[in-house]
Amino acid sequence: MSERQLNRIRGREVGTIFQDPMSSLDPVMRIADQMVPPIMRHLQMNQETARAEAIGWLDRVGIPDAGRRIDAYPFEMSGGMRQRVMIAMALSCRPKLLIADEPTTALDVTIQAQIVELLRELTVETGAAMIFITHDLGLVARFAHKVGVMYAGKLVEFGPVKDIFAHPCHPYTQSLLDTIPPVNQPERRKLTQIPGFPPDMKLPLVGCAFKDRCAAAHEHCFKDTPELSARGPGHRAACFLPEGLGEARHSDAETIPPMVRNSDDRVVVEVFNLHKHFVGRSLTPWRKPPTVRAVNGISLNIREGETLGIVGESGCGKSTVARLLLGLDPVTSGDIYVDGMAQMVFQDPSSSFNPKMTLFDIIQEPLVVTGWGNRAARAERVNELLSQVGLDESYAQRYPSQLSGGQKQRVAIARALAIKPSVVVADEPTSALDVSVRAQIINLMVDLKRQLRVSFVFISHDLLTVSYISDKIAVMYLGEVVEYGPADEIFRHPSHPYTQALIAAVPVPDPVAEEARVKNPLSGELPSPLNLPPGCAFASRCPKATDYCRAEKPILQAYSGTREAACHYAN
Amino acid sequence: MLTYSLKRLAQLFVTVLGVVTLVFFTMRMIPGDPISAMAGDNLAGAALDKMREQMGLTEPLLLQYLHYLGGLAVLDFGNTVTTRLPIIQLILDALPVTVSIALGTIFLTVLIAIPLGTLAAYMAHKGHRMLDNAITGVAMVLDLMPSFWTSLVCLLIFSLALGWFPASGTVNIDDPVQMLRRVALPVLVLSMAQIATMARITRTSVLEVLSEDYVRTARSMGWSELRVLFRHALKNAALPIVTVIGLSFGNLLNGTVIVEFIFTLPGIGNLLVGGINSRDYQMVQTLILFYALIFVVINFATDLVYRLFDPRVQF
Repeated sequence: MSERQLNRIRGREVGTIFQDPMSSLDPVMRIADQMVPPIMRHLQMNQETARAEAIGWLDRVGIPDAGRRIDAYPFEMSGGMRQRVMIAMALSCRPKLLIADEPTTALDVTIQAQIVELLRELTVETGAAMIFITHDLGLVARFAHKVGVMYAGKLVEFGPVKDIFAHPCHPYTQSLLDTIPPVNQPERRKLTQIPGFPPDMKLPLVGCAFKDRCAAAHEHCFKDTPELSARGPGHRAACFLPEGLGEARHSDAETIPPMVRNSDDRVVVEVFNLHKHFVGRSLTPWRKPPTVRAVNGISLNIREGETLGIVGESGCGKSTVARLLLGLDPVTSGDIYVDGMAQMVFQDPSSSFNPKMTLFDIIQEPLVVTGWGNRAARAERVNELLSQVGLDESYAQRYPSQLSGGQKQRVAIARALAIKPSVVVADEPTSALDVSVRAQIINLMVDLKRQLRVSFVFISHDLLTVSYISDKIAVMYLGEVVEYGPADEIFRHPSHPYTQALIAAVPVPDPVAEEARVKNPLSGELPSPLNLPPGCAFASRCPKATDYCRAEKPILQAYSGTREAACHYAN
Repeated sequence: MLTYSLKRLAQLFVTVLGVVTLVFFTMRMIPGDPISAMAGDNLAGAALDKMREQMGLTEPLLLQYLHYLGGLAVLDFGNTVTTRLPIIQLILDALPVTVSIALGTIFLTVLIAIPLGTLAAYMAHKGHRMLDNAITGVAMVLDLMPSFWTSLVCLLIFSLALGWFPASGTVNIDDPVQMLRRVALPVLVLSMAQIATMARITRTSVLEVLSEDYVRTARSMGWSELRVLFRHALKNAALPIVTVIGLSFGNLLNGTVIVEFIFTLPGIGNLLVGGINSRDYQMVQTLILFYALIFVVINFATDLVYRLFDPRVQF
């Protein structure tokens, strides 16, 4: 097909929504200039009707004051709003097919829930079919009808969503489903890890692409390539074995014995009434400078060997707390007490290493800084650390660029553990990783906290992972802790409306359970921490908010014996 | 915006004061003074000293400096040493020639370099390396040729061999055709060097933008490549190009001095050369002050143009 013919299909027949709303809209053009001309072109409308049409679409995707906002520039909108504009743009020429390529990956969990719900409504309304590309199995369960699982450039399994989740037939699908932390499970099992790496696509493939990582691989798999074959009505899989992994599927899922803990374990971190305000620069000396109140009086404590999970949307102050715990930023007021040393594992393993240093130098750096031991002792310690995080000693002389993302994060953990800290702060340590690799890192952290009795602070927006790995959870909203208590209890019976909304927003990788869930995603977005409301900070988005909430700020107080919640109407 | 302008005005003041001071003292470090340059070997010492005294050159340096600043404060730029004409008048007479060379060069450069660079970027983006390499290669060769040399080559070809443009002669501002014929070659010479730089910057900048997500979005809406290139890519790529245009004014001020000298054009570049040769302190100081002013104003204008291309730029 020629470019000209393709251009008639693009936009008109097929609309596309891309992953990153921050970069997918032209930054120097008004929304109107990006939206109206395609409508004029594809639907043969004149300027005014096309503009009215565009405003109508913006209104439908939930842009407040659409008639005025259409003349805004993308940088004047939040990420969630921009993704709404993208959706409006993709649908504006009434395409028959909508392709959504990871449309919510760059968004917060509550915004993700809004966008997904919107996409579902709009496709039903307009009758457009949708191809939803994602790595998030929970989202698939939430609203796909059919699922195609791809591996190494090929479809390995295809079928109705319920079949795929209930009876996966391909070993890759099976392993993938087992890498996700389960939602409701009385005893915790280790997550499944998919060993090895995807095949090098530069080389020709002989046999099944998944054979090297498959526990059920046999001779046949190395010679011939399995084709998609029927497994049920509309359900096909590309595997020689009818059951895929079959019995081997759960063989390595050992259970994790619960932590033994008693109340006289020493407290390694104690935070009391912590505040952090970032004061901006005012243009004129007599005007009050803008102040971002990032952290507003939080109190926490962590015992030896305990893992504290901190969750919340971006901008709620999670990462600021992490930086304060390590003393990377000075506190505005309040006290932090750390018994021993604190170390950090950063989100992006690629950018947190000096690319010109060998792994040996990277790991021993904290030892050198603290003047620990002599050269030989440090070398021995580095080797010990490498083996603790599951890497071979030969890795010591490699450079970061020679490692995969998961291996780099292992090195980051080794570096954090080098000086035997009492607490390791991990800020979104798994967000930049692939699903299968994520499971490996989570398993590693679970092992380490048991073996070394080191405490972790695990900061993430991924509630499933946090509740899986943590003993205690602190839910943060706009610089405050709104709920604080044992992880299981909070996840199962959240008491604060914000926690409830967060948990409701997390898609569960089970289509049957997803169908039964009530979905009314949290409306609105995080208010600006520049001017906080006088009453409850969450009141603007809370379904239960009353005038009392808006006037009187609820304080964090004991709720149901084991935990605390900051809500007048907690239940 | 107002605060920003005031800030820039304060900056302008500091810059100009610094430049003026530097020029004042460096000029006096050059051996010789206006009187000896004017007299040559003809006059005896006593007569020269008397003239120096008349001109105030025997006063302490600091006092001369304060005198000079005092004059500047009331916009008195003084007279030339030899002809006793007001300097400001000479500069204002010479300015149109230089300005037309500079603007002509910018115009010609933008006209050629931006389409060329965009074309090269597009070809590189599509994987047609041949044309891209050809354009970048030619640009590099142009860049490597010094303008005093290309001036002579152009004179040789276009004036002496072909006779299209006059090599010298008077310039009359009131006669645009004659003026155009006189400045055509200098503009061509100066453009050659500028085109190379600007085409390369355009190429890099557009090439980078072409792989941005929003270009993919524009394609997904069914826009033709031409529209994607000109509506989306070029506008986003404009900032670095505008920066280079602004900076190239600085180079141009240098370049005009050379071409005005070679093509014997009565612009401010030639005034400067004459002023330095005759050690005309006042003349050189005033000209450098003008250059500094032009430079600062162009920088300010560049910042304003930024806002035109990128709404995210705030003052």
